Amino acid sequence: MSEQKLVNLTIEGRQVAVPEGTMILEAAKQAGVLIPHYCYHPGLPVAGVCRMCLVEVEKMPKLAPSCATAVGEGQVVHVYSEKALEARKGVLELLLINHPLDCPICDQAGECELQDYTFQEGRADSRYREPKRFNPVEDFGGDVLYVTNRCILCTRCVRFMDDVHQDPVLCVSERGDRAMIAKAPDADLTQPWAANVIDLCPVGALVSKDFLNKARAWELDRTASVCTGCSQGCNSILETRDNVVVRQKPRSNEDVNKFYLCDAGRLDYRWMNRADRLEVPKIALAGALSPVDWEIAYAEAAKALAGKRAYVVASPKLSNEALFLLKRLITKTGGEGAFRCATGPEAPLPGVKDLALRADRAPNVQGAELLGFARRDADVLSGLKDGDVLVLADDVLEGVDAAASAVAKASAVIVVGTTLPLHLPKVAAALPIANVAEEEGTFTNLRGRVQRYLQAKAAPGLARPSWYALADLATAVGADSNACTLPSATFAELAASEPAFAGLSYDLIGLRGATVAGAGAGAA
Amino acid sequence: MSHGPSAPARPHSPHAHHEPYAPVFTPGSARKAELDTIIARYPEKRAALLPGLWMIQQERGWISEEAMTEIAQQLDLTAAYVKGVVSFYTMYHQHPVGQHFIQVCTTSPCLCAGADDVVKAFLEHTGCKELGLTSPDGKFTVIEVECLGACGFATPVQINDDYVESVTPGKVPGILSSLK
Repeated sequence: MSEQKLVNLTIEGRQVAVPEGTMILEAAKQAGVLIPHYCYHPGLPVAGVCRMCLVEVEKMPKLAPSCATAVGEGQVVHVYSEKALEARKGVLELLLINHPLDCPICDQAGECELQDYTFQEGRADSRYREPKRFNPVEDFGGDVLYVTNRCILCTRCVRFMDDVHQDPVLCVSERGDRAMIAKAPDADLTQPWAANVIDLCPVGALVSKDFLNKARAWELDRTASVCTGCSQGCNSILETRDNVVVRQKPRSNEDVNKFYLCDAGRLDYRWMNRADRLEVPKIALAGALSPVDWEIAYAEAAKALAGKRAYVVASPKLSNEALFLLKRLITKTGGEGAFRCATGPEAPLPGVKDLALRADRAPNVQGAELLGFARRDADVLSGLKDGDVLVLADDVLEGVDAAASAVAKASAVIVVGTTLPLHLPKVAAALPIANVAEEEGTFTNLRGRVQRYLQAKAAPGLARPSWYALADLATAVGADSNACTLPSATFAELAASEPAFAGLSYDLIGLRGATVAGAGAGAA
Repeated sequence: MSHGPSAPARPHSPHAHHEPYAPVFTPGSARKAELDTIIARYPEKRAALLPGLWMIQQERGWISEEAMTEIAQQLDLTAAYVKGVVSFYTMYHQHPVGQHFIQVCTTSPCLCAGADDVVKAFLEHTGCKELGLTSPDGKFTVIEVECLGACGFATPVQINDDYVESVTPGKVPGILSSLK
């Protein structure tokens, strides 16, 4: 890369130097100028069909489409000159001729580039007085609904299916004012990554059925998170409204998921809102579980663990921080840790290197393995010995017949989880923890990339973040974790004591992630 | 509102029931041989798409979604690509049309010469309820088209592949009865 020639040019009076072959639109981004555009998308081949990115380049006879015009040495580009503004105003007026202007009932309103650019540069009114062309709404299958009248025919969806998903089922049908996006005969957008066309659509033409009429875009709070659907660790945004997660969208990360999120991942958020949660700490009192204060629950759990070996069954959906504190508990009691992980068929996105819905359907399998938890998919209780204390860390033994199984060997059961499994015998203490949407933490993806997720909503009742509850529990059993006062402090302890995580910190990881020592080579 | 030849008749579902599709380019058939000859003329198979679609339309009267899939397989294209092409050109029918496909020119000179009344007469005498719809007996479909290039003989009407020139409303019944 060092040999790449740099080209100097001026955009809106700002000097930039960009590699040769860069398009003006990308160069302008580096100059801090966002040139309005619709059909251009950095993840897709350039089409040059929308004409929205026209800019004036000195010494060029005509306005240039900045998405398809390469930079030249000494170029002087005017984005907001009178000529360029007039041209884009004309483009907008034409795009709006048949647009229904149904923003009040459109899901895209508030996050619509047609609204935004019209507000910025468009005409205040239309000169078009004829009836508008009308086409019915079409169900595209999967999660996708096509509202034909709102479409501006940028063809981002067509190019995504052609070049990125490589299952070319979309096309532009008809021509002139009748033109619209259409599916191939008998095709549906049910491919594993097809719903990305909804995010790619700059207007309200392709909308999510799942999110349809659920919320207005401006009512949502957005939080950086990591998708928990599989071990790929796609960066995501959790969008919440009134403490309820209503949508998950991709958050672009050049090194992990580019601009995409698979359909399974994006729709896997409802469990974060489940109502039947464990909300208060409980201990066994006179044969029944009774709500108690946190301190009493810690003490009860420590009492059960005294002199016993802890057999920890941890969910690979727990953070590195939680798993690290569980490891302290294991080390202190001379116990062992195991986990199991649901699996499913792998579904790659063909046009992006090393991106797939992975077979392991949990976000932190790699973290659990790095922290010494043994993977026991067949029988997660196989290592449980007579007299052990079974610590269930957010794995509720679903599918395991607790009464008949090896649970009987345990002297007591301690639940650290978001839910309290029914019919679990011998529960000495139950500690409520927050789920991924309610706390801060990190996951390690299958390539060893440690990525942070932030808190999107409040935890129910007295539930505490997993790192908080487990630090207290570790301290209660004598593994002093009083330094773990914050997720970042917990991670600092983790980085200091685990060689695999050495050198990492929240600052270093940021919101893009950083790779653990010895990893990174795995990417094929 | 204009009704181009390919404007789908919206009252009918695009998946309306029709007879099972019989492939046109069966191995060993004359049409297959014709298509192969055309393919051989061009550096890319794709180039034979338009003539291939014409063959289907001649054989079947219209181009169904099954037909799009068939020609796509013949030419190593995707069905979506073929659909884009078929729907772009207004002369390919995306739904069944009458046995006699009547195209009345209504561009400016013909309109001045009374093309509107010619259209009305055709609709009335064929029994077609609306432009683009087919008459109940399945014999006729009437549409308006842009300039047929016969302004000196306003109003020209193209019925299937033949031109009838200088048509007036009064001549319409005679023209229709002369059609088989």
